[in-house]
Amino acid sequence: MTRSVPAGVESFRSWLLEQSNLLSLAAIVGLLWAVFTALAPGFVSSFNLFAISRSVAIDIVIAFSTMVVLATGGMNLAIGSIGVCSVMLVGYLMQAHGLPVPLALAAGLVLGALLGFANGAAIVLSGVNSFIITLASASLFAGGMLILTKATIYNGIPREIASFGRMRWGFVSPLLLIALAIGAWLLVLFRYTALGREILASGANPRAAELSGVPVGRVTVIVHALSGLLAASAGLMVMTWLGAAMPSVGQDWLLPSFLAPVLGGTLLAGGMVSVVGTVLGALLVTTIRSGLLILQVGNFWLQLFLGLVLLVAVMLDRYRGLYAERRGLERSP
Amino acid sequence: MTVARHLMAKEWSALGASILAGLVVLSLMSPAFLTEFNLYVMLRSFCVVLVVAFAQMLTLGVGQLNLSIGALGGLVAIAVGGVMEKLGFPIGLAVVLGLLIGAGGGLANGLLTVRTGINGFIITLATASVFAGINLGVTRSIPFYNLPPAFVAFGTERFFAVPYLLAPPLVVAAALGFFLARTVPGRYLLAVGGNPQAAELSGIPRDRTIVFAHTLSGLLAAVAAILAVAQLGSAQPTIGADWLIISFAAPIIGGAALTGGHISVAATSLAVVLIVLIQNGMVLAKVDPYWVQFLLGALILAAVGLNRLRAVHAETA
Repeated sequence: MTRSVPAGVESFRSWLLEQSNLLSLAAIVGLLWAVFTALAPGFVSSFNLFAISRSVAIDIVIAFSTMVVLATGGMNLAIGSIGVCSVMLVGYLMQAHGLPVPLALAAGLVLGALLGFANGAAIVLSGVNSFIITLASASLFAGGMLILTKATIYNGIPREIASFGRMRWGFVSPLLLIALAIGAWLLVLFRYTALGREILASGANPRAAELSGVPVGRVTVIVHALSGLLAASAGLMVMTWLGAAMPSVGQDWLLPSFLAPVLGGTLLAGGMVSVVGTVLGALLVTTIRSGLLILQVGNFWLQLFLGLVLLVAVMLDRYRGLYAERRGLERSP
Repeated sequence: MTVARHLMAKEWSALGASILAGLVVLSLMSPAFLTEFNLYVMLRSFCVVLVVAFAQMLTLGVGQLNLSIGALGGLVAIAVGGVMEKLGFPIGLAVVLGLLIGAGGGLANGLLTVRTGINGFIITLATASVFAGINLGVTRSIPFYNLPPAFVAFGTERFFAVPYLLAPPLVVAAALGFFLARTVPGRYLLAVGGNPQAAELSGIPRDRTIVFAHTLSGLLAAVAAILAVAQLGSAQPTIGADWLIISFAAPIIGGAALTGGHISVAATSLAVVLIVLIQNGMVLAKVDPYWVQFLLGALILAAVGLNRLRAVHAETA
């Protein structure tokens, strides 16, 4: 079979096929926005748009925290625990010791990176699956935090924190800009830097990467430290929203942290990430949550919907992959 | 020296030593430890944890994992409680229904994993959310309290220090031990977990074995849930919410390799004994309950480190 298609159109087509995941995800998000707006005009009220922008910002950073580890083919089940440890440290430093806000926030971020570093070091030194190490460290970190703080809520933290959380730039929260800035930085990291390529290479094929001189162990540790740093950032964003440091932060992060990157086309096996896809995935999660809330479906059914979305998405993705493969095979001779 | 090395090579020797040390320390530390009532309390909390650990052990054995054990358990718990309280089902029928829901949930996990070829982690993360969502949507977090007296009595009655509740887990343990050691499907399960390619080349139906392991895992989650309802005397929607870490802790402390093919009913049971001892010790020492969570994490890391050390020893020896 011969095709008389100009090369430009053909390459546009293959670009479309490559981006089909992102495009279909964007289409689904758009469709949901249309449906929710039609059913409940309050969905696009400036109040709700602000609420969405704030919660999508947090979902994006939580998702990035998992995404960077998925890039190496590992996972990090401890992001919720790391996030809450940072939040409680910052709350404690500000309330009990009156530390200035920037210094306390920096300490929280450093703690997040250190806990992530500890995860990475334990994984590399023991040679054990990151699933087990981070499952255990999640319990260790959260348990340690509860022992030290006795589950106190620090609600005497400076007012600036809460007023930053309430700040509005038009319809959006400045938190969203922070999340997008982190996204832009990650995009540059994975596309244009040697470290980013090394991370992806270690995820795609650790042995080949090692043989071609990539320090896979060091990359693993760096990625986990980065994941811890991002988890701490997400925790601190939640803290500005709550206006207090609470020991319950991070408890429900596991599902959304995997949902967004997987919906966005990041492979669990490693070697591929999609920063834009992760942002869209997080937007989808937030949209569903906000939409169900505004339709008063009730928080109780939310979990069911998110689970079903994840199932349908991975299955669709699977069949799209098979379809693309088959088309590719037909064309190749 | 050789004896020490031999002992170290046995997975359960470190466990056995830890349990002995724990028993000695606890009985010296607290006179309340060896009382009949405290032994009863410990044996009673042993029951649910043991079956939860077995549920995870089976999926680990076939080289998979199951994040949905707790959520499925919660769903079974409220289903069993709900049909007994609201629909007046007899106990036997309610239990059978619960077991069917558990096996059905496990079957769904298995089929989805095998048919889509997607990592079992993601599949069971998603189904866990679905199961927990149905549970919360139906109950709105309100438990079922009015259960048949005979059912509740089964959860509290005892013969000296031995609770009646201990009978089902012991039967399950014996059946599992026999199943894994002596039956064809049991050997298939371990073979697929040990080396999927080799198993498939030797004619073992790999996909069917994985589905089977997931189904059994769901069935055991249901058994654990029903035991938990009997133990609590009410069907709480929160049953299973804290099973995740324990379900992995026991088989891993018992030496199950996450890559599959290597599980032991005896070692997993010993690990559960150790976990229950620690929990009980914390209560007797009146320490913050948060220490249990902390120590569980530390214990998993220690077990993993010990396994690593053993592997290095085996290589150099």
